[in-house]
Amino acid sequence: MKFTIYQESRPGKRPNNEDRLAHCYSRDALMMVIADGMGGHYYGEIAAQIAVQGLTEAFQREANPKIHDPFSFLNRAMLNAHRAILDFTEAHKLDDSPRTTCVACLIQDSIGYWAHAGDSRLYVIRGGKVLTRTRDHSRVQLLIDQGVISEAQAAFHPDRNKVYSCLGGRQEPEIELSRKTPLEAGDVVALCTDGLWGLYPDDLLATALKRENLMKVVPDLLDQADARSGPNADNLSIVAVRWEDSYVEPGSGASSAVHTRTMPLGAITTKLDEFGRNPKYKTELTEDEIERAIQEIRSTIQKFSK
Amino acid sequence: MAQQANHALPAGYQLDEYHIEHQLSLGGFSIVYLATDREGQFVAIKEYLPNSLALRGEGDIKPVITDDHMPAFRYGMKCFFEEGRALAKLSHPNVIRVLNFFRANNTVYMVMEYEHGRTLQEFIQKNRAVITENFMRNVFTKLLNGLREVHSHKLLHLDLKPSNIYMRNDYTPVLIDFGAARQTLASDTPMLKPMYTPGFASPEHYHQRELLGPWSDIYSVGASMYACLAASAPQAADSRAEKDRLVPAMVRWEGQYSDQLLETIDWCLCLNHLYRPQSVFALQKALTEPVEKPRPPIAAAATNKKTWLDHVVGKLKGKAGPK
Repeated sequence: MKFTIYQESRPGKRPNNEDRLAHCYSRDALMMVIADGMGGHYYGEIAAQIAVQGLTEAFQREANPKIHDPFSFLNRAMLNAHRAILDFTEAHKLDDSPRTTCVACLIQDSIGYWAHAGDSRLYVIRGGKVLTRTRDHSRVQLLIDQGVISEAQAAFHPDRNKVYSCLGGRQEPEIELSRKTPLEAGDVVALCTDGLWGLYPDDLLATALKRENLMKVVPDLLDQADARSGPNADNLSIVAVRWEDSYVEPGSGASSAVHTRTMPLGAITTKLDEFGRNPKYKTELTEDEIERAIQEIRSTIQKFSK
Repeated sequence: MAQQANHALPAGYQLDEYHIEHQLSLGGFSIVYLATDREGQFVAIKEYLPNSLALRGEGDIKPVITDDHMPAFRYGMKCFFEEGRALAKLSHPNVIRVLNFFRANNTVYMVMEYEHGRTLQEFIQKNRAVITENFMRNVFTKLLNGLREVHSHKLLHLDLKPSNIYMRNDYTPVLIDFGAARQTLASDTPMLKPMYTPGFASPEHYHQRELLGPWSDIYSVGASMYACLAASAPQAADSRAEKDRLVPAMVRWEGQYSDQLLETIDWCLCLNHLYRPQSVFALQKALTEPVEKPRPPIAAAATNKKTWLDHVVGKLKGKAGPK
């Protein structure tokens, strides 16, 4: 694995920072997580801390060096964090359970897997454009989906901070799993809280993160955000990784990288497919993929049949 | 090889934890069975069995799939999984519920809830007198609740038609058969073979699939409403694009239903996707607006029409206007 990573959190103009973030990696897997706590009396901070800590501990336990089943890992770790927050609420006899949003991303074999609950976001940026991003579990996102309001109107909507899924709430969280997303060298995966994305439209964020030197780009972005935000600026947090490997189809050899430096001078390697269609291009499901598809559908059925 | 119809699994066959009762329907890609589960509850089981690729002879259980057909068979299985994935996420009274998904007999099976009723297609053929203004508004408003749920999961149904709408005996509609449903926002999914039914598919189904959106399902809803009133499918969108012979609902049923309902149907059936209701929500709003009583074709209306016609004719003749 080869990547550049940068994370930073700033309080904005708030007295305390209720955002928490972390990343950790083994030889073959990388995990990033970000949480934005909610709730009075500084407890939001605790909820966010429990979530981030729970996920990193789970990663440390299970990544040896890869995570066996990424989606089930993310789903389980986030549900466990949810229960840990409820336990905390119970133990301290709090009237109102602290809550937190959470988005976590796992990258291994140059494939991204992520899960989220609430309105902290994950963006995948390729070539200065947003390839995909999470949909917020917020009331305004529903209104946008229904075509009642536009993205622009959402930025000023009175309900823009209301989320319908989060960890620690009275209701079980709705944890949304992504698709398996193969990454290419140069892709940027960024996780951030609403304090930051609220200040940047998608395309602006994508352009900003396109530049190569992440270690400089991200602090600059936060400086700008600090300057742009008003007197009541929310906490600003981001963890971003620039991935330097490309996804390689399994079965195409352990290493497909070609090192030409060892070739004798004057030697030319030619690889040309025979005329006609290469039978390998047909999309065929393997036994393994069938089993996985069935498992995935079954677990979705279970998850939604409450 | 000539296409042959596949033989269904025999009644009484024990399939996983289900007991097959009998075949409910046979399609080109699948067979649907009525079965009972361990508790004796009825379920519908859909078996993936494309009859051009997999053949089950009489008395056989496992279909024969030749090596030649295996890649195509597996590719089609992907589509079947898409349907399973789409439905598994949806839990709504107006959307068919998937209960289980499993592998057996070299193929895959999807178990769905079963309820007594019939398709809207059968219903409109046999119960013409029931198709009143209220019936239309009730059934379609409820159906749209289900469709809203589908769209809110960023899915499109893409094959809405009366035969894919199931009517429970209490007249509540259920969306069934998501064989064409696609995740719309997943740009990594290659566009699969188009699937549509002439008359109900929107114009963008045919040639401009990149324009597919909620408005495409809305066209199909409009076509289904039109079919309810006409008892037959409207003219297909591709042939409408060449020469539009579809009589607007507003003209065809004037006075029998409220103008507002008929206008709404015509609104959904606009060939230009931008002129249709852009979201289910917008359409639902139109359907739940207070009903104006259908205007009987009384003398006043007729006179109005006449003067309007006279006006135009008069203009054409170069006269100053109506007398």
